[in-house]
Amino acid sequence: MKTTRRNLLKFVGGTAAGALLTPAPWRLITDTALWSENWPGIPRPARGEIRARFTHCTLCPAGCAVRARCVNQQPVSLSGVKPHPISQGALCPWGIAGHHLPYHPARVRQGPVKEALAAVSRAVAERGAGERVAVLDLRPGRTVSWTYRRAMAAIDNGLYLAPPQPAYAVDLAAAQTVISFGAPLFDGWGTPGNVFSARPTFKLIQIEPVESRTAALADTWLPIRPGSETAIAAALAGEMTLEDAARTAGVDEASIGAVKEAAESGPAVVVAADPASPLMRLNAKFRALGHTVVARREAPVPEAWKKAAAATGVSATPDGAIRALLIDESLAGGYVPWREIAPKLAAHAVVVVFTSTGEGYARHASYALPAPVFPETAEDIGPAIDTTPAVFRIAAPLVAPVVPVVNPGEVLAQIAGLAPGDALRERADAIHKAGRGTLLSYPDGKTTPVKQVSADDFWKTLNQGGCWIGDAGKKEAPGKLEFAAAEPSPDELPLAVVLAEARREGLESPLMAKLDRESNLRMAPGRVALSPADARSNGIENGGRCVLETAGGRLSAVARIDPGIPPGVVEVAGGPQVADLCGAKSRARVVRA
Amino acid sequence: MIGGKIAFASGMLVALAGGWLAFPRILYQTRPEPVDFSHKIHAEKAGAKCEDCHSFRDDGTYAGIPALDKCSGCHTVAMGTTAAEKNFIDNYVTPNREPAWLSYARQPENVYFSHAAHVKLGHLKCEQCHGNEGGATGLRPYQWDPISGYSRDIWGRPVDRIGLRTAGGMKMDDCVDCHRRQGLEYSCLGCHK
Repeated sequence: MKTTRRNLLKFVGGTAAGALLTPAPWRLITDTALWSENWPGIPRPARGEIRARFTHCTLCPAGCAVRARCVNQQPVSLSGVKPHPISQGALCPWGIAGHHLPYHPARVRQGPVKEALAAVSRAVAERGAGERVAVLDLRPGRTVSWTYRRAMAAIDNGLYLAPPQPAYAVDLAAAQTVISFGAPLFDGWGTPGNVFSARPTFKLIQIEPVESRTAALADTWLPIRPGSETAIAAALAGEMTLEDAARTAGVDEASIGAVKEAAESGPAVVVAADPASPLMRLNAKFRALGHTVVARREAPVPEAWKKAAAATGVSATPDGAIRALLIDESLAGGYVPWREIAPKLAAHAVVVVFTSTGEGYARHASYALPAPVFPETAEDIGPAIDTTPAVFRIAAPLVAPVVPVVNPGEVLAQIAGLAPGDALRERADAIHKAGRGTLLSYPDGKTTPVKQVSADDFWKTLNQGGCWIGDAGKKEAPGKLEFAAAEPSPDELPLAVVLAEARREGLESPLMAKLDRESNLRMAPGRVALSPADARSNGIENGGRCVLETAGGRLSAVARIDPGIPPGVVEVAGGPQVADLCGAKSRARVVRA
Repeated sequence: MIGGKIAFASGMLVALAGGWLAFPRILYQTRPEPVDFSHKIHAEKAGAKCEDCHSFRDDGTYAGIPALDKCSGCHTVAMGTTAAEKNFIDNYVTPNREPAWLSYARQPENVYFSHAAHVKLGHLKCEQCHGNEGGATGLRPYQWDPISGYSRDIWGRPVDRIGLRTAGGMKMDDCVDCHRRQGLEYSCLGCHK
């Protein structure tokens, strides 16, 4: 047989035909597909021992119980804890993605720690007569808040600043009607599991200008004119005629009458977006105090702590009085606009912020130091607005800090010269010593009276998955409720500002940010929404650049034209930058950029 | 003409030989296990059952291959004079170093497999999926496919999978076949979370 070109081609043809009758090509197709699943850069799940660990979420004051599925001690997924009587096994989307936060690319990863602490020490030593050292605690009610208060009591002219803390708790389960003045009841107001478990038992009347997610899920939504909440409240209190209120609010008289009737017909509660809003006074009118609005209860603290400094509002501080200000922004809480803080600072004041994000006070501070984030540090969470019994729950760390962090509690204790010690353990011992309430263990769902548990076991259970719940006791009416003064709003600007949602300060899982913002479930920062009429009158196009002007300044933004927004309103995504610009109540102008 | 047929047939023969005989040999790479462990000796002399070492934790999760602590419970010192025992004591027990066992049955990353569901609820015996591993006097060399990255046991021993005995492989098809035979549910989300 000669080797010809034809024979060679036939040989190759025979090889190809033969190969098809073997497993080789078919197997290689499968293998190549599998190979493409294992390319470098494709994330690979961790392998190793799988364990469940328990902690509490610190991302908001709800403090939901968390079950973490861990592979080799590394949390890979978070879920709720079913037997928990308050969080009821629920966890919000932020909580579910909470274990992403230590690795957030935008996290504050380093800071001039030595330099900052030296500057604070210098400021403390050199301050003049009447000049104060202050700590601003954005999440009061924690054990570390007591450390701050003790530290400020130990320092001459120390000042403990905190946003107003409601002295009441709302018992949703006892309410038949809930009248909400813009409170985001289904969107971060209280403890998600608690709110949704009580939902079938109450009728929700949502009163706000824009159809928020809560308004969309309410039994009744009253689309009032912005700023007319006071008129509605006055009508409900019988201090204004329904006719006048209806004219002011732009709704019909019968709707307000129906709200009044519902509130008077059974146990009702009034809630507002701002817990310190004067609108909360309506609860006295509807005899809610002591029934659906009860005294806020706190877990016992060691006797020695009770000499701590009391909380002061920023506005009550004299102008130019603060020489050194330390801000704990490690947990999201009540952001105090910088324009309220700035006048209180002395010349050459040192401002140190403990934070994980560059978005908040880090923009204004002399030094921004990296703070631990959830779930890196042991922390406790005070009771939420809808938690009626006293509770003590510890957010036990699930991972070691990913970056070198500074613990603000330790820094303050050191500056004030407090005796070193574990404040959480001291408080747990005080609770155990008081001998009241029960201890709930999450792994087995068992509830045990505190009296039957040793102090060591009590502490161990709190750290390994459990919480202390105080005795239900008799419902008590809250003490004297203090409310913020109504903020006057300038009239010269045409649009009322409505915050799109209570956007959380601090870090948000990049996964959640992508889901929320790219899908338009939540308004992204730097965006405003206008009615078609207002957009047309200002020459603004959908998706076009615009400038939001308020009495506090200007913000460049992208406009969205939304027929759901009533004329005369501009909806703005919340956040520290917007809070600095707008404050609680504001009017604005939106012009084409 | 005849020459052409011979050329075609030759090519075909070369491909068939290569595909059926050479391909399975070159497809897999072989690695030895770190210790020549005998399941048979442990079963017969120590009276150990599968679940004594391959146990479930208190919370119901499966512990998989036992950690060195489990072995050290008995093998604090050499139990015999074999080379395998000496290797195990000198290289792992004494320096307290975990042997890097190569798992024959490790499933792909996108599969969620629960031993608890199959053993405790389904009452399956270990042999039904893992074969008579418990009766083997030594550990087979670990063979893996460097293209897919998976063990040969996942695909099954024969490359063509023709005549594969029941539970001879651990591919998705094998799981589905078994579930189908048992009249069990076999939707995607059962295993791919």
